[in-house]
Amino acid sequence: MKALPTILVACSLLASAGARAAPIKIGVINSITGPEAPIGENLTNGFKLAQEDLAKAGTPVELVWEDDTGKPQVALSAIEKLATRDGVAGVVGPYTSASANAVAKLAERYKIPLLVPAAAKEEITRQGYKYVFRINAPANVYGSVILDAVLSVGKPQTIAFIYENTDFGTSTSKTAKEYAQKKGLRIVADEAYSKGTPDYRSMLAQVKAKNPDLIFMVSYVADAILLMRQSRELQLAPQAFLGGGAGFTTVEFAAEKQISGLVLTSTQWTDEVSWPGAKQFFNRYQAKFGKEPTYHAACAYESLMVMAETVSKAGGDRDKTRDGLRAGSWNGILGPVKFEDYDGFTNQNHHPMLVEQIQQGRFETVFPPQFASKKIVFPVPK
Amino acid sequence: MVVLLQSILSGVLIGGIYALIGIGLTLIFGVMRVINFAQGELVMVGMYLTFFLFKLLGVDPFVSVVVTMPALFLLGAILYRGLIDRVTDAPQQNQILLTIGIGLVLSNTAMLLFTSNYRILSTTYSSSSVALGEVHLSTPLLYCFAITVAITAALYWFLMRTDTGHAIRATAQDREAAQLMGVDVRRMGVLAFGLGASLAGAAGALIAPTYYIFPQVGSAFTLKAFVVVVLGGMGSVVGATLGGLLIGTAESLSAAYLGSGLKELCVYLIFLLVLLLKPSGLLGKSRM
Repeated sequence: MKALPTILVACSLLASAGARAAPIKIGVINSITGPEAPIGENLTNGFKLAQEDLAKAGTPVELVWEDDTGKPQVALSAIEKLATRDGVAGVVGPYTSASANAVAKLAERYKIPLLVPAAAKEEITRQGYKYVFRINAPANVYGSVILDAVLSVGKPQTIAFIYENTDFGTSTSKTAKEYAQKKGLRIVADEAYSKGTPDYRSMLAQVKAKNPDLIFMVSYVADAILLMRQSRELQLAPQAFLGGGAGFTTVEFAAEKQISGLVLTSTQWTDEVSWPGAKQFFNRYQAKFGKEPTYHAACAYESLMVMAETVSKAGGDRDKTRDGLRAGSWNGILGPVKFEDYDGFTNQNHHPMLVEQIQQGRFETVFPPQFASKKIVFPVPK
Repeated sequence: MVVLLQSILSGVLIGGIYALIGIGLTLIFGVMRVINFAQGELVMVGMYLTFFLFKLLGVDPFVSVVVTMPALFLLGAILYRGLIDRVTDAPQQNQILLTIGIGLVLSNTAMLLFTSNYRILSTTYSSSSVALGEVHLSTPLLYCFAITVAITAALYWFLMRTDTGHAIRATAQDREAAQLMGVDVRRMGVLAFGLGASLAGAAGALIAPTYYIFPQVGSAFTLKAFVVVVLGGMGSVVGATLGGLLIGTAESLSAAYLGSGLKELCVYLIFLLVLLLKPSGLLGKSRM
């Protein structure tokens, strides 16, 4: 027992000296199981690759994994545990908008830096929180980038919105609707659905009756496939189907060639960007995990790189980490990263989004032109 | 007009599935007075069985009904002999706890075995449809409905025309009297539970090509089946059929005209109204 105080003193001395050798501790909250798990898996893999690279670069990181099962209430207890019991220096995650929005409030209360990798809901970085950072572009860009893409090549007049009535769905389509109106598009249908029903046909029939030029959908994995399947079944044929990220960017979706052909979707990242390391990341990911990474994986990778580097510089101190995130700038697979205050956002990375189109079962970047690998097909031939 | 027709028709097609699950539940309740809260999980087991039969052996989901039904019958019979039989005379809350428990064990076992990933079963005809003028009917749902009708008709014939069917109905009417008349009520219990489970399995197989599969998919079906059964009158096979079609159509119409997010509200409003005006359900004779 006598040794204990000595050890404690030694430890505190070591810590204050900013011991480089001891691994830094970072918390990860992600949807490892549950309905959002197929996308969560991409984040998990991205984090793992980042951890590998960090170890190689001499910054070993100990990750404390927490599974929020896609539920905000579970995410809340996860951040509480990370902040109070595990003593991590910072947290990356959670994946879903609902979870991230809930967790942001607690991160601020516990004064623990939180870096959100892929959640879109705008409010997450709009509440003036000092400890909450976000690396991906918020919900408003999902709509604006894809509308910009189709308006650059065509003249659609009307648009219909179909979205899941969750945080991600409503916030993404709300700003997309505003943007569409600003661009002179007429909104002819606005359908929020509750997920998990086997039959969306009557809703889709209602949309079909309005004969929109564009249909914008925001959904997670399974519903994206179900909605598209039933749309094809009803022979709903707009000039283009637009997907708001998430379920429309998964490999599973692209693999359903019958239904996913020529669907456009906004995305945070593709392997065709010229940002440093992007192509290598894509190849390594594919070699290691046997499938293509989605943008979630890239966002997760970069957010952990940024967080670990900052924590390491700050010697594991939470406030110093916060200051470091605030002051620093990075340039990695997600392009330039800097956390800024603009348009009511705080600590928000001004990330440009891209548009992909599924051509022959593969995601091809079609917008913006400087990163395009294939020409956009619009309007989609009937 | 097109929207109306489309909504009614796809509502009826989906309602067929609800009816099938509901009939299983009502059969079990009729014979044993046990509400099987694991009914939806049995549907889930049927879905996974169908999925793997398709993925590994290439068996068409609609053909796989001939495998899933006997397999689920067996599972149901085992569950009955091993567990349910022990609580037939126990207070109702114990029976409810037991069936909920069975459901939890089933869904969590599925999660351990198959992870919580969503699985999609895509056949060549998954998104094909038959056009009736402007109205498009999903081909897989049409097959599914035809098979549902066939199964329901066969079940009805079995219950009405065969000796065993008579014995099952006698047990449902009055357990003691049936026993005095020489009916082996325990065997009828096994049969009823097995049949109920196999109907759930069939429903799982039939809906697999048009829906997605994950371990927790059952709970939504349990709830819906329960509504269908109470709406139609507990214990009534015809009532459950009617209830299923009614719920399917109500969902579909409210999604088209009130907004997709409000359809649950509409379903439960109808449910409450029926309970207020006719507490025994549409075709129920008495409360138990």
